[in-house]
Amino acid sequence: MARRIRFFSTQLAKANASHPDHPIPIRSLEDTPIISITGPRAQTMRDDLDSTLTQHEERLAQMNESYSTLRERERELLEAKEVLRSTKGFFERAASIPSEIRQSIDDGTQPLLSHEDREAQVSAGDGSQFDFEFVAGTINRERLPTFERILWRVLRGNLYMNHTDITQPFVDPISGVSTYKNVFIIFAHGSTLLAKIRKVAESMGGTLYPVDASAGKRMDALKEVGARLEDLSNVLVRMESSRDQELKVLGENLKGWESVVNREKRVWECLNLWSYDASRKTLIAEGWAPTRDIVRIQAALRHAQEASGASIAPLLHILPTPHNVQPPTFHRTNKFTEAFQTIIDSYGVASYQEVNPALFATVTFPFLFAVMFGDVGHATLMTVAAALMITFEKKLAKADTGEIIGTFFYGRYIILLMGIFSIFTGMIYNDIFSKGMHLFHTGWTWPHKEGSITAVPNGHTYPFGIDPTWHGADNSLVFINSYKMKQSIILGVIHMTFAICLQLPNYLHFGENSSIWAEFVPQILFLHSIFGYLVIMIIAKWCTDWSSPSITTSPPNLLNMLIYMFLSPGTINEKEQMYAGQGFVQQLLLYIALICVPWMLLAKPYLLWREHKNKMGRGYRTVGHGQNGEAREADDEIIQGEEEGEGHAEAESEEHFEMGEIAVHQIIHTIEFCLGCISNTASYLRLWALSLAHAQLSEVMWDMTMAKALGPTGWQGVLGLVFIFVMWFQMSVGILCVMEGLSAFLHALRLHWVEANGKHYRAGGYPFVPLTFNFVEVVGE
Amino acid sequence: MSGYLVLLVLAAVVVLNLAGWFITPKGNQQTLIRTMIILTLWCCFLMWSITYMAQLHPLIAPRRADIRFEEKKHGKTVL
Repeated sequence: MARRIRFFSTQLAKANASHPDHPIPIRSLEDTPIISITGPRAQTMRDDLDSTLTQHEERLAQMNESYSTLRERERELLEAKEVLRSTKGFFERAASIPSEIRQSIDDGTQPLLSHEDREAQVSAGDGSQFDFEFVAGTINRERLPTFERILWRVLRGNLYMNHTDITQPFVDPISGVSTYKNVFIIFAHGSTLLAKIRKVAESMGGTLYPVDASAGKRMDALKEVGARLEDLSNVLVRMESSRDQELKVLGENLKGWESVVNREKRVWECLNLWSYDASRKTLIAEGWAPTRDIVRIQAALRHAQEASGASIAPLLHILPTPHNVQPPTFHRTNKFTEAFQTIIDSYGVASYQEVNPALFATVTFPFLFAVMFGDVGHATLMTVAAALMITFEKKLAKADTGEIIGTFFYGRYIILLMGIFSIFTGMIYNDIFSKGMHLFHTGWTWPHKEGSITAVPNGHTYPFGIDPTWHGADNSLVFINSYKMKQSIILGVIHMTFAICLQLPNYLHFGENSSIWAEFVPQILFLHSIFGYLVIMIIAKWCTDWSSPSITTSPPNLLNMLIYMFLSPGTINEKEQMYAGQGFVQQLLLYIALICVPWMLLAKPYLLWREHKNKMGRGYRTVGHGQNGEAREADDEIIQGEEEGEGHAEAESEEHFEMGEIAVHQIIHTIEFCLGCISNTASYLRLWALSLAHAQLSEVMWDMTMAKALGPTGWQGVLGLVFIFVMWFQMSVGILCVMEGLSAFLHALRLHWVEANGKHYRAGGYPFVPLTFNFVEVVGE
Repeated sequence: MSGYLVLLVLAAVVVLNLAGWFITPKGNQQTLIRTMIILTLWCCFLMWSITYMAQLHPLIAPRRADIRFEEKKHGKTVL
């Protein structure tokens, strides 16, 4: 059936292509009434559909066939007409130049023929001195020279050939190829020669037409051909209209049928996965179902039984999940959370019952994006765009928007949230289309001086965001960079801590309590003794009033402080000491960090090994040992061999214990975490880098276009301003919103995937794939 | 306007968190809404407080060379 529907669609497409001015309408799927594939009448519906499709196909195929045959005939008749016309021309010309034609003494025909017959033949012509006999026909233009040459060689020059072009090409109805043909007429004498000519002509692909020597008969033949052509074209026109009717009927129903066939195919593919139990004459399927939905499924099965009128009810039997089989992961999403779940699933599908990072990504992802994007103006544009997509989401979901717009549409809720958070961060960075906003009292005053002036703090702090006095200052980047870098580190350390803490619910749920002490605690201690300390020092340095007389030291360079903490632990530059006992505290933190490394490395393998030994000690026998029930010889070698993996598998549910593998795994894990701590923390500096790039691009774009256009006055200024505004706006949307937006999206995603998910996400699951009719494919896929 | 403002806003954020926790209606989406409210509040507070603290006791001052001072108008010096 699918094949037939494909055939119909191609026929419709061809017909529409050849008559673009009055196409046959194909009713869309929305307007077609739904044909149900379930219920008591499903079987009859299928059979009916099958027969209908077969009928239509037969009719259409027949029509196509007869149409092409008739076109063939039409072509032949046209050729015949051309031949007759051209030969008429030959004879007329030949009559006017009689001297050039060689008289034949012996025409080679039977001398037994009476003279009168011959004369009758000849005189029936237009009184010419012709007594040549001839062959007339058509041949492809390309073949003509070859044809002439062959004839010349074969007949040794004993022929006279004339040919004209047929101006109008013949179009092949099936392939659409147009061929140019020529009419030829060959005069020769002798039946053998004529026979040879005929054979050559046919072998070269030419068609011969009977042409009479007499003009009167030729006129008659021409008239006859003309009449036949007219009849034929009438028939063809009528055929085309009936074919159009047929196609119209098809067009109305095509989409509906297509959908039915698609759905049926899907159901059949699913049913193929069932096994047939011959003894009990039932189909049995094993599958997964969400626990919460079991009641709904049972209700649906009952409903199906009633609807189809079956006598035996289908049974749903819940099997206990075997230990070594992991069920599929199923996160219930709605239209809002779907996109967030997708971007996390692109990294890896969560293991069964693991903490789902997508829940937190609904906020942390747009937030980290916003830190890199902060500009109120661009954010507003983004939010409005997303809001529009959401307002029209029902209509847009049905429309075919293409791959790129479709992707943006799929993530409309992500874009909305990103926009809203970016408005917030834009207010904090005090950046709207590269301009600053002066909403509150600033914390700086400008002293009245000449030249380069340095502002003086007036004791007031700008309450929300970056002080607008910084906007446009020569050294604003010095302050802004320092602020943004420190902010990135603080946000990074907090995000990573959050990610490490997400290990806790996993450990508690899966009962791996030992891992809390073996992995979680040393990781937190390691991260915080170095970078948590850095964060605290950053905040402490900010909150210290360095201008007050009670502070005798100068503000320390925090980077140097961190480096010397490692290079020369315990010694502090006195001029830069922040608090009493700093040397001791830093040394202590360093030692804690150092202890954490072997802690992470050794604790877990040791615990696992001890657990394994306990299990062995409790009397589980391995296969092939202790057949008389006696205690196994605790030979060191045998135990060693078992630990290296030479022991047989124990009880079916137990995992194969291999010390070497565990040790290697733990080494990798520890190194990854420790080195990752430093590199990931630095990686968060991209929050600073991208927001700096965005701010600078935005500023340059304004300075280079609008700032220059706001100067000139008069009507030229107005015109120039309008033109420059268009340019500026297009560049803002294209470069700053779209390009920077995509870039910040990518980097925020990377931060989630690598820096955050790398700390807790197991991602060892596979998705739950139920049968669904939700698809937009073409038939045949 | 001092460092104590940060502590004040912190207290306000804690109150808002609790309010959000208890106000959220029961249903399929309760976890989602609660998580989002709490995370949003803390993220925004974090960013605001970092920005505020960075400007409390600044170590450098803005400097520019293109300021024009206007004459006193209505008793206020206009930049």
